[in-house]
Amino acid sequence: MIRFQKKNLLYKIYTWLPILFLFISVFNEFDLNYLNIDYFSFNFPFILIFYFALKAYQRFDYFLVFLAGLFNDTVVGLPLGISSLSYILICIFATYLRNITISPNLIKDWFYFLFIISLINSINFSVLFLFFSYELDITLFIVNNFFTFLFYIVFSIFFKRYLKSLDD
Amino acid sequence: MAEGRDDFIIAIRSAFLNKSTKQKFSLLTLVFFSIFIIVLSNFNFKAISLTKSVIKEIVYRSSFIVSIPENFIKSSYLNINEYTNFYKEFKITKEELDQLKSENISTKIIKSENEELKSLIDGYTVTSNKILAKVIVDHESPFLRSIIINKGSKERIKIGTNIYDRSYLVGRVIEVNYTSSRVLLLTDLNSNIPVSITPGNVQAIVIGNGDKRGEIKYIKNDLINKIDDKGIAYTSGTGSIFKSGIPVGTIDLKDENEKILINFFSDFSQLKYVFAEINDFVPTTLKIEENDAAKISPNTEQIKLDLISDELQILEESNTKFLEENKELNTLTNELNRQIEALKAENNFQKKVIQKHNLDQEELEFLRLNLIYSSRCQSKKLFSTGFKVGTPEYKECIMRKGKISD
Repeated sequence: MIRFQKKNLLYKIYTWLPILFLFISVFNEFDLNYLNIDYFSFNFPFILIFYFALKAYQRFDYFLVFLAGLFNDTVVGLPLGISSLSYILICIFATYLRNITISPNLIKDWFYFLFIISLINSINFSVLFLFFSYELDITLFIVNNFFTFLFYIVFSIFFKRYLKSLDD
Repeated sequence: MAEGRDDFIIAIRSAFLNKSTKQKFSLLTLVFFSIFIIVLSNFNFKAISLTKSVIKEIVYRSSFIVSIPENFIKSSYLNINEYTNFYKEFKITKEELDQLKSENISTKIIKSENEELKSLIDGYTVTSNKILAKVIVDHESPFLRSIIINKGSKERIKIGTNIYDRSYLVGRVIEVNYTSSRVLLLTDLNSNIPVSITPGNVQAIVIGNGDKRGEIKYIKNDLINKIDDKGIAYTSGTGSIFKSGIPVGTIDLKDENEKILINFFSDFSQLKYVFAEINDFVPTTLKIEENDAAKISPNTEQIKLDLISDELQILEESNTKFLEENKELNTLTNELNRQIEALKAENNFQKKVIQKHNLDQEELEFLRLNLIYSSRCQSKKLFSTGFKVGTPEYKECIMRKGKISD
């Protein structure tokens, strides 16, 4: 097990890892697209933001999440502000869930996550299609939504271990 | 009931408005910020466009730096693959190059004639200058297909500039910054390319399918049968979005859903460098007067002559090459004929051996049967029913196992 001296630089970097990963993923479009599996893609930032806004909001700066959204729009070529709005909405829903939950349950969180990403992807699709006249394939959105939902459980295991190592 | 509603309101208010010690802004403020940016980015104010352009420049460069490790792994994998197929590809490429060299000459002739005629019709000449651009960001979004190149308005790139991979069409510029531009690839769902399909000269529109191929749409039903599998699609130039005559891809009619698809010539996932075509309209001073025509014609004739002499040289070179190959083939044929003769002789010898072996077998069989049936076939003094030993009749009798024929 890795142990850090608190206030150490390495420890600080370690506490900033989620934000670092978020920025790397938006700059690098980490969604395993290069595997060339038809229709396969998932939204890693959605998983990361939801998990950390829910479980470790003290270490998660929403303004940086907002900036990450702007960067994502620039890299992908979407109208500026669309991803920021999506990311902040995820933060809001996660905060709401945290406020109303007394005993957290991973499966409940998982299905709540499905509801949120479906809602946000629907908003994104509608805004892009209706206001910006983008031609989009709805199948890609649905498949992306499904895989993001599936991968949440996998990543939540890693994130849980990470948070545990921080607390230790 | 009222308590439940209060809890809900408290949770909502807490989610939107409360900010913990570490947060600089409440979530509601950030939501408003996002909406404000979305609305603002739709206005074409100079200050906004400038800010957007600066942000994009910074983000593209940062994205390029962040992607270095991933790109390194990807390119290493591709390099290893290339090295394994290197020799085979080299041979094929060599043959293709020889063929293309000769085709290039005729293309040059046609091109010079075409330019000459165009300048007469339009009154201006389009001088195109292709500049090399590096692909700095090529992350495939699940929904949009675009790349970022390292050339922008500084190098006179404009919205709509055609982008090529070698001589194949890749896409067009949709967003220009000072030193970078975004190129919408042909595979994007928002990409529409007017094409002509040969053979048949069928006009159609190709739309990206969001994956790796394009789909032919907006075509008259009675013209669908005119399209052949593996037919070639090239830009028709309709609408002046793309220049005419640029190769786009080949037709694929083998789709399960009976869609007419196009396999693009270029592999958009492997783009490292592309060419951006900068067009300049130079007014032509050419007037259709006899004197001027007389001045111009010797020059064009000279160009044509040079091209034809080049073609002749290439033909001579290939002729010498064919003669040498012919000689080599003759020697090979002689050698093979000699081998055939030797094999024939060997074959005859083997046939004789087999024949002799068969005769020996027959003799052996006769001797074996003779021991058993000789008493039945030999002639006896009292009753002359048999045959004299050594005669063919005696041998036949022995081979029939002692049965004397009528």
